[in-house]
Amino acid sequence: MTLIDRRTFLGGAGLAAAAAVLGEGAFCSARADKPVNFSGWVFKPDTVKDYVDFFNKKHGGQVKYDAVPWATYHPTMETRAMAGEVVDVMYCNSANRERWVDNGLIRPLDDLPGMDELKKKMAPGNLEAARSRDGSKVVGLPYFTSIFILMYNEPMLQQAGIKAPAKTWDELMEHSAKLKRDKISDTPYLPNWNNSGSGTMPQFLSDCHSEGAGVFDAKNRVIVDQEPGAARAMERWQKAYKDGLVNPEVLTKTSSTDTHRLFWTGRYAYHTNHSYYLKTIAGEPENSKLAPKKARMAMYPGNGQTHMFTEWYTINAKTKVLEDAWKLARFLGGNLNGDWYVQRQWCLIAGLDNAYPEMYDNPEIIQSYDRWVDLKLLREQYKKGRSINAFKEPWFSEYDSKAIAVVHNIIRGTSTVPKGLKELAALQKSLA
Amino acid sequence: MKLSESALAWLFVGPALLVIGVVVVFPLVYSLWLSFTDVNLLRATGPALELWGMRVPLFHWIGARNYTQVLADPLYWDSLWRTLYFVAAFVAEAALVGFGMALVLNERFPGRPLLRSLLLVPWSLSRIVVGLLWIGILDFEFGALNGLLLRAGLVDGAIAFFKEGWSALNVLVSVYMWNQAPFATLLFLAGMQSISEDLYAAAEVDGAGYWRRLWFVTLPALRPIVFLVLVLATVNGFLMLDLIYVLTMGGPGYDTTTVSWHGFKTSFTFFKFGPGTAILYTLTALCLLLTVVYQRLILARFEPEA
Repeated sequence: MTLIDRRTFLGGAGLAAAAAVLGEGAFCSARADKPVNFSGWVFKPDTVKDYVDFFNKKHGGQVKYDAVPWATYHPTMETRAMAGEVVDVMYCNSANRERWVDNGLIRPLDDLPGMDELKKKMAPGNLEAARSRDGSKVVGLPYFTSIFILMYNEPMLQQAGIKAPAKTWDELMEHSAKLKRDKISDTPYLPNWNNSGSGTMPQFLSDCHSEGAGVFDAKNRVIVDQEPGAARAMERWQKAYKDGLVNPEVLTKTSSTDTHRLFWTGRYAYHTNHSYYLKTIAGEPENSKLAPKKARMAMYPGNGQTHMFTEWYTINAKTKVLEDAWKLARFLGGNLNGDWYVQRQWCLIAGLDNAYPEMYDNPEIIQSYDRWVDLKLLREQYKKGRSINAFKEPWFSEYDSKAIAVVHNIIRGTSTVPKGLKELAALQKSLA
Repeated sequence: MKLSESALAWLFVGPALLVIGVVVVFPLVYSLWLSFTDVNLLRATGPALELWGMRVPLFHWIGARNYTQVLADPLYWDSLWRTLYFVAAFVAEAALVGFGMALVLNERFPGRPLLRSLLLVPWSLSRIVVGLLWIGILDFEFGALNGLLLRAGLVDGAIAFFKEGWSALNVLVSVYMWNQAPFATLLFLAGMQSISEDLYAAAEVDGAGYWRRLWFVTLPALRPIVFLVLVLATVNGFLMLDLIYVLTMGGPGYDTTTVSWHGFKTSFTFFKFGPGTAILYTLTALCLLLTVVYQRLILARFEPEA
């Protein structure tokens, strides 16, 4: 048996410790002193964990990530703030962000290093959305951006002898009526009229915009009761419902995810929804009968304008680790790594678009999109995207939720179009 | 040191009381307090309690303003009438079906133990799962029931159970009954098995048939159980939220919006926790009121045997 003396042992231990430190140092940069707390709502949490691990290794971070269920995410974050907990980097959806600004929960980002460069790279519509209500400061970095698009079932249109997808709303209604008449589809049109915040109202905004109608004026007051385009859109919706061209249960679907899954069945000809859903519809043969690429995208009917929105990464105003929190935020919502690491992951995995047009020059992204959508057309559609500023108003989330019932009543014909549109304006006025 | 009997009793009961105080009494009192205040989670101004290093904001007292605001809202009253219908239909269905199933399971027949075990399956499922299961059965597009009816040639086209508000509300009642009736069955069954066989034997000697035994022996003996089932079903009916979340989100329009859903939305979507808790405390008041009514109607003249 070989015995080692105290000196040899200490020397060996010192060498081992140095090797461990240097070994890790060779792999990652200096480790942050304090952990950065990062919270988001539950959406592919394993993906988030993976890139948080990557960040911790590559950039020497000490990020602690936790996911909170979507339904109670924002109240939970507020309760945690109330109890004095500081979550340094947080997801925030557009409808709640301004309240967090107004109440001092999150901080502006303009003074942080590299922000000016990110502003230059961001698409103008997204940059506008990133600013606070008064436009003076940028308060979030984009998590993802999305736009409403028109999708169509190519084999079904071909079967009906329809050579090209509808370019106008009248054409879409005619095609749908023909498909129903010819018994090719019971309910050929699947609008996203679901009962959640991502359904009926974004669809309403999209169709109003495509008819050239403004929904809010410059002071963010609802003006749909004065807009003929809004009335046209609502009359069309009423007719589609009354004529049985749409799935009658779409009004009680509880999410856009549930709604888009109906299109997987291949029983519908047209579907309007957030662009990223086309990835599963046209790109996942294991789930969808319309994959690969039997479902396609067409420019939105009417003038082509449609609703666009962005969700956010924000930084807590009370963070004690601002430098590290900002580093993480840039990794998530910017391009810290130089290869759009996180944004690219979301594009590849979930078809979530991002706010930086130059990312779409990345060959891997181009190749991935090619499996489910015509990327060029999608980028064209983004050029016609319209985002609203009303989401920055304190009353917006309540209006947006209560307006769903009003619009559903219009669709079902329990309210007339003029009366319903007046109710929307009155609802906003009552909350402002 | 020798502890007195009462000190020893407090020592044993103390931990349980402490837990009940922290997880039941404190949240109840605090949420009741919130319903009289102007709550903004992000701006917790006003007085605060310091409990074991934790700051519990008390917010600004605004008296009954939240309640007057809630009671002046037509949406609240629409939701309330809908809730009363929902609760009445649910309590009646759950009690009747539960009682019927208990009568069957109280008889001796082959396979009874298996059936008793299977009975608990709907009740043991999470309500989110129950909702998803019933979507699979009732959905217009891919529901199993529509598939069966269409294949059997019993209908020309698929039935849209959630198209009309009235139909959607009744679907909610039935699905909730399916989930909850087994518990009522369990209670009724336990009650039936505690009835003395001698009473039935005596009734038989007096020439009473099945229905007369049921009416004059079983039902009177089950009075405390009926009371329990009605109270529990009523409270559960008033508070039901998760099935709405999974099946309809309160729609179409507001047609399946109940008071609990309205309170949930007000609190967690509109961040109006003051009015939200006020809405939900009106439900608590209703539950208490109905419990007293049940007590008077069912138990007032009931004298348990010595």
